[in-house]
Amino acid sequence: MIKDKTKNEMIEDSTKDNRKDKRKIIGFIGSFVALAFGSSLISSALGFLTRKDENKKQNRDKNKKQNRDKKRPKWAMVIDLDLCTGCGGCAIACKVENNVPFTGDDEKMFGAEISWMTILETEKGFLPLPCFHCDNPPCTKVCPVGATYINEEGIVMQIWDRCIGCRYCQVACPYERKYFVWTKPHWPETYKQWFNPDVATRPKGVVEKCTFCAHRLRKLKEKVKDEDREIKDEEVRYLPACAETCPTRAIVFGDISNPESIVSQLAKSPRAFRIEENLGTEPKVIYLAKEKRKYITEGGE
Amino acid sequence: MLSDRKDPIEFFRLMKISWLWVLFVLLSILGIAIGISGYYLQLKYGEIVTGLRTPGAGGVAWGLYVVFIIFFAGISFGGLSTSVAVRIFGISELKPITRIAEFISIISPILAVMCVLSDQGRVISALINLPRYARIASPMFGTFSMAISGYLFASLIYFFLSTRSDAYELSRKTKGIMKIIYKIWASGFKGTPEDFERHSKASFWFAIFILPMLVIASSTLGFIFGLHSGRPGWFSALQAPSFVIMAGISGIGLIIIFAYILNKIYKDSIPSEAIRTLGNILMFLTITYIYLMIVEELTSNYAAPKKDREIAHIIVFGTYAPYFWITVISLVISFLILFYQFSSGKILSGPTVISALLVNIAAFTKRFVLVVPSQTHGFFLPYPKGQYNITAVEIMVLIGIASFGLLIFLLFAKVFPLIPLETVGLAETPRTFQKKKNILRTSATLGTLLVGISLMIVGFISSARAFTKYYLDPVIPFAPVVFIIGVIVSFLSAVVYEIIPERNTQSSSSER
Repeated sequence: MIKDKTKNEMIEDSTKDNRKDKRKIIGFIGSFVALAFGSSLISSALGFLTRKDENKKQNRDKNKKQNRDKKRPKWAMVIDLDLCTGCGGCAIACKVENNVPFTGDDEKMFGAEISWMTILETEKGFLPLPCFHCDNPPCTKVCPVGATYINEEGIVMQIWDRCIGCRYCQVACPYERKYFVWTKPHWPETYKQWFNPDVATRPKGVVEKCTFCAHRLRKLKEKVKDEDREIKDEEVRYLPACAETCPTRAIVFGDISNPESIVSQLAKSPRAFRIEENLGTEPKVIYLAKEKRKYITEGGE
Repeated sequence: MLSDRKDPIEFFRLMKISWLWVLFVLLSILGIAIGISGYYLQLKYGEIVTGLRTPGAGGVAWGLYVVFIIFFAGISFGGLSTSVAVRIFGISELKPITRIAEFISIISPILAVMCVLSDQGRVISALINLPRYARIASPMFGTFSMAISGYLFASLIYFFLSTRSDAYELSRKTKGIMKIIYKIWASGFKGTPEDFERHSKASFWFAIFILPMLVIASSTLGFIFGLHSGRPGWFSALQAPSFVIMAGISGIGLIIIFAYILNKIYKDSIPSEAIRTLGNILMFLTITYIYLMIVEELTSNYAAPKKDREIAHIIVFGTYAPYFWITVISLVISFLILFYQFSSGKILSGPTVISALLVNIAAFTKRFVLVVPSQTHGFFLPYPKGQYNITAVEIMVLIGIASFGLLIFLLFAKVFPLIPLETVGLAETPRTFQKKKNILRTSATLGTLLVGISLMIVGFISSARAFTKYYLDPVIPFAPVVFIIGVIVSFLSAVVYEIIPERNTQSSSSER
């Protein structure tokens, strides 16, 4: 009898247990399914939201295009190497314009100097090198945080505040046009009163580079907007500090998507070439030279 | 022999401090102090104190730190894939070294993270901006999310699951706080046959699950270099596979070295068969890598673009020839040693350890030859050639990082046995068990897996916008963190499977 009772009890218990189990199981499955559903819902909602955003953007762009009936400009630079005398004016003007720190002649600083505009001395001439603002830039592809990006007008920009200083973009740039701030930036005390207020100084530990003097473009755009007109080609022709300074007018700046601009006309010249086009980077700095090969063939030793 | 020693605490000298141990701890603390002082200098004056400089202006942007990121991440890959292989193929003679393999693969991602952080120009920004803005399109994303956090959590989970039985064993033999710690660690492990069965099943499926991730993660490390046409000497499809192979080589090499040291400390507790098997695996990997190197050399010399040929020439005959030939010679010698052991059927522990050391030297020099020459000589413009002079600060920081690893190892060795107890005959594994289905467990496991994977998808999608041209931000900030949490949660499904106890054990035992 006793044994039977215990057996019966046990059976009851086990059924109770099973019920509890079942409830728990259902609860578990339910919660997990709900979670999975929720997350997939969120993801689809996100996708929907972003699509909406993009639609809005596209509409906005369309409106803008309709209003102005014109495409976004694509900024480019033409440098005539046959005119370049290698005076170095562009490099200095760039340093002053963009608050680029001084390195001095300290031996430690060898290889740490920053020059957004570098003039390379090749065998038969000088080669001024700003950032090439590639249309297909390798540097923006690799940035882990999106601190460097190409904007709608084709200028490769750098968000100095976001940069973490991994130097991946510096390594990825085939033209070595990116500069890392290796140490705390230094200027002579008296120099600081001549800082350009339009350009932020960069802290140590970020990568910086030529911006095609984007701040000057921005100012010009504001002015043009106030006067309710379009940017004229003459206004931007010598807009960047380097082009403004060049005594032989070897550097010309402008909108390459506008066929009437002097930049796009010069780009059609038989003397025109771009450096290492086979890399597919599509640089927007175009060089003019009678003998282009002598500038790009052999490296310095 | 070994089963005579019944007490694992006695055998592994747990919680007992010897003079030698104290000496090593003090040494590692000294090393950490050196590292901290070096890093302080770097924080204060910037990376000007390192030997790194602007490429094109006479220096390299990536140097020793990056070499060691690859090195540590590679070791982690090697350790984890060894323990995965043991689980999948059931290589029983390698069981004694699984714990050390997992332990290596836990420490080395931490060290790799430290190397990554010491390479950054701005550490605080890196810690905030990487989780916030990380881009999937950057090859570094794979390194941060999978190679480092993935390896770390996968090996942590492996480690936790495989140590539960030992923790249970130890909790029975200790008293006081340690007993509580071991009990928490064991987390419900009772030493029943079902527990063991669950463990082996969970580890098997987990191994299958993480195997593709392991290969992908190690490949992304290779993609960091292999995807740039702008760097001659780097742009190669071989980069990813050779990273995977080299990671395996250096990881297994390190396991052999550790196994040898442990054998000296704990008196032949690891059978030399295990070291021999590892040696055989190492031999096959080494010859594969030699083959890859030959292919690489042939490709970069036969009709390669001019710049690639120049870089190859400089590596083989020029400035970097010492590094290159050290790589070649150490790989060939270690292959010959291991091949002799393989073909003769003898067990040569000593020479195997030497070849393990040699392959790790080769792993370092090969990575150095990969990272540096392209930055000093691989220019498309006529820049002056650069050079890389390693400075004391870099070495100090790396000493600090390595000492940190050593310190963790030393502390751990006093808390936990470095060899699984069952393989030393200090605990027994029950063989018989009854197969039972537990819907709760299955559904919970699958649910966790599902949640993890959906979190991964959500994180991936919402941090992407990868293929739009004017990409800037993730769709939602910190989306990359969601992806990493998804990876971790999906890994946790193995823990869920193992931890949920048998529901019917009590009733079945009372029925008997």
